[in-house]
Amino acid sequence: MSTDVTTYRRDLILALRMREVPGDRIGEIVAEVESHVADTGEDPVEAFGPAREYAATATGRPRARWGWADILIAVAAGAAGWLLAGGLLGLLSGDPLGPLPPWAALALGVTVAVPLIRHLRRTASAVRDPRTGQDMVPLPRWVPWAIGGSLALPLVLGAVVITAFS
Amino acid sequence: MLTDDSWPSDWLRAALPLSVLAVVAEEETYGYAIAQRLREAGLGAIKGGTLYPLLNRLEEEELLRSSWREGVGGPGRKFFAVTAAGRAELARRTTAWHLFTERATDLLPSLEGSR
Repeated sequence: MSTDVTTYRRDLILALRMREVPGDRIGEIVAEVESHVADTGEDPVEAFGPAREYAATATGRPRARWGWADILIAVAAGAAGWLLAGGLLGLLSGDPLGPLPPWAALALGVTVAVPLIRHLRRTASAVRDPRTGQDMVPLPRWVPWAIGGSLALPLVLGAVVITAFS
Repeated sequence: MLTDDSWPSDWLRAALPLSVLAVVAEEETYGYAIAQRLREAGLGAIKGGTLYPLLNRLEEEELLRSSWREGVGGPGRKFFAVTAAGRAELARRTTAWHLFTERATDLLPSLEGSR
């Protein structure tokens, strides 16, 4: 059975991501496959084996498993979000966030969020095509808006509720 | 009788790194051309799934370096060239390989006797 290159590319990128391979390296491996099958006209599975197996051969890395670091990141992200949202709303309402004054909650939220965002940006680096320099898996345009909207909505609603009842 | 495509895989595993290094040392070249050169030399069809991880390993060992070039009407190709360290390593490994195969061959029954 033949596999088209687009499907193979998608499967290979996913399999390499699961192994936490940096974006540039993923781009390199995928471009090698595409360039080779363009030259030979071979089926990518025929030439390189199933995408998951090739991801293992090409990198020698095992599939990443959830560990303590991931749990810590998830907890830190939740805490940072709670501190930032609570701090912002506290500034509007004048209420402290538990024992913390709103400005302290905000400052603490930023202190946790900044290194977290830096870490996530580093590990989820874009998959660059070495031939063109372009992103191989560009996000649809609406995605940043959707993320921004889903983050801003609770804050806007909170602010509306606070101003309406104060 | 063994044909070009039926060399035992462990023989190929042993011979490929040196053969690939030698092919790239002849001239700067790209994956498909290397595979073709190996096939012409009688080593059989080397799959992309074997060749590229090997090329990348040789590059990690700094025996090769690579660069992407735009193809004519094509998607672009990754060219490999040998480094100075690669050339020195090729010379060293070639000497060792000849010595090794001569010693192994000396242990085998002569071809005259097996006919």
